[in-house]
Amino acid sequence: MSIISVKNIHKIYNEKTVPVHALQGVDLEIEAGEFTAIVGPSGSGKTTLLNIIGGLDRPNQGKVRLADTALEDLNDNQLIDFRKNNIGFIFQAYNLIPVLTSQENVEFVMLLQNRPKAEMHKRAVDLLKSVGLEDKLNQRPSQLSGGQQQRVAVARALASKPKFVLADEPTANLDSKSTADLLDIMARLNKEENITFVFSTHDSRVIERARRVVNMIDGKIESDEQQAV
Amino acid sequence: MLLKIAWRNIWRSKLRSFVVIGSIAIGVWSLVFLLSFSRGMIMTYIEKAIENQTSHIQVHNPAFINADVEANELEKAPYNFIQDVTKVKEALAADPKVEAFAMRSYAHQTFVGVAGKTGVANVYGINPIQEKVVTNIHSLVIEGDYFEKDKKNQILISASQAEKYNIGIRKKVVLSFTDKNGIPTKVAFRVCGIYDTKNQLQDQFNVYVRQKDLNRVLGLGEESHEIAVFVNDVDGVDAIQENLSALLPSQLVRVYDQISPEIELFNVQIQLSTFIFTFIFMLGLIFGIINTMLMAVLERMRELGMLMAIGMNKAKVFKMITLETLLLGLISAPIGMLIGTLSVGYFKRVGLDLSNFSKGMQKFGMSEIVYPESSGDMYITFGIAVLITAILGSLYPAFKAISLRPVEAIRKI
Repeated sequence: MSIISVKNIHKIYNEKTVPVHALQGVDLEIEAGEFTAIVGPSGSGKTTLLNIIGGLDRPNQGKVRLADTALEDLNDNQLIDFRKNNIGFIFQAYNLIPVLTSQENVEFVMLLQNRPKAEMHKRAVDLLKSVGLEDKLNQRPSQLSGGQQQRVAVARALASKPKFVLADEPTANLDSKSTADLLDIMARLNKEENITFVFSTHDSRVIERARRVVNMIDGKIESDEQQAV
Repeated sequence: MLLKIAWRNIWRSKLRSFVVIGSIAIGVWSLVFLLSFSRGMIMTYIEKAIENQTSHIQVHNPAFINADVEANELEKAPYNFIQDVTKVKEALAADPKVEAFAMRSYAHQTFVGVAGKTGVANVYGINPIQEKVVTNIHSLVIEGDYFEKDKKNQILISASQAEKYNIGIRKKVVLSFTDKNGIPTKVAFRVCGIYDTKNQLQDQFNVYVRQKDLNRVLGLGEESHEIAVFVNDVDGVDAIQENLSALLPSQLVRVYDQISPEIELFNVQIQLSTFIFTFIFMLGLIFGIINTMLMAVLERMRELGMLMAIGMNKAKVFKMITLETLLLGLISAPIGMLIGTLSVGYFKRVGLDLSNFSKGMQKFGMSEIVYPESSGDMYITFGIAVLITAILGSLYPAFKAISLRPVEAIRKI
């Protein structure tokens, strides 16, 4: 059964002035454990699609079903709760909380879930170890490199035990070495812990590592292919 | 964790936070000082009024004070003397909280004539020895003496009267009285001393003669119109009043703020000015806080959008912004209060010399050296005001923060 299911999604911006059809009838099914890249040129609608899958934006038309929940049935507060418990986010600009340390950033999501303190500490430390940052637990984001910050973001995305992780151009601000390291970590978590990753990218190094590549052009899915890694 | 984040967020822009903290602290400081100053000024006035004239408690025949007590009674008429004065004296002597008391007679709005010049005075007939213990008029004699020579018909006038009538020591003053039977009579008094209380309201009208001289003129014997009572502990004055009123049901026993209504007026003025100043301060502060916190929110739009994206609900975002503002208030208010306390403490010790402005102030009986006086209530009021202002000031920025749509705030995930 699909963990992500979008059917006939339409998204129109500036509906009343100069309408822009960002998505035009997109259908997409993603199974648990997939490692999927949504690719396409700028303006192709990949970020809009990711925003809608992430419950950050609502479509003008169509249905979004995530882990058996129809997003159109949720109000804004329920949507926030749904995101908290089901979706991990990795942002292009890392977007860590600058005043918290690596460990506190990872714990923060669990705090929102009201997890016990001891469990929060242990899981945060374990996750940071798994992304190779066991020696950076008490560093604040400003004391970390871009690659390290993005690894903290991966640990944070996984902290809430989400059903899937969405990443919008996660390597856009990283150098080659950091990109390779990050992809290794994501691929390992996908393989070993069966975590579903969906990311948008136009970075060929990322596309090479994806097992499924969804290609978008002008708000439509142009191709959807599995590839051997 | 929310508190931790709020606390650390404050220090992200140190300069901005210091500016806000500084301005709140200066605001609180100036409020503390300004209101302690006006309180000190009024307290000094009250103390002076008590020392120079009023004393803590006064006992009268009710008809003496209130003309409406009985028909055809004249207010402050000479025949409205205290009835059963022995009983009153015994009650006062028996009360251990009463330090001393002095008997006074009084002639209201007496016509004064001095070498072709005329005016009006309130004549107090005092017992100089008793009066010394109750008020300090004896220590305010700047020329001549305080009834030291045992001569008949001596008068103590004020410096402003001496100037007005252009007279000095040993000069003659003619006073026109109406005695207790309504018969007019003129008596000449000789100036034995000139006093100066610095309170022009008081000095303009009050003259002092010996009680026995005044009583003789008014056709009275040992009677008194007024008994001025000085107590050991001013805080217990209301209890003493209650006690004396119960013992002397036919007499009117009043405390100083009932005697001089302006004292009550000043007390109301303290409360009113505290309210007005605090309100203006809050109004100014609220805009400062809104401005600062709005900047803080707008600068962190992306971060706030991210927080909501990863599952921080609107209530928590709201709480975080409010907490940040509250913390700024919690840091700055005590700093302002501390500086306020120190500066009030300093000037309470050395006094604030306002002699350059004292002429105008003296007209209203204010002292030229003011000793600021703070009170616990003041600090509680300001503390609460700052916290309420901080919360009110944080509302708009906090609403602005929760009205952000994560997708717009972070533009893309």
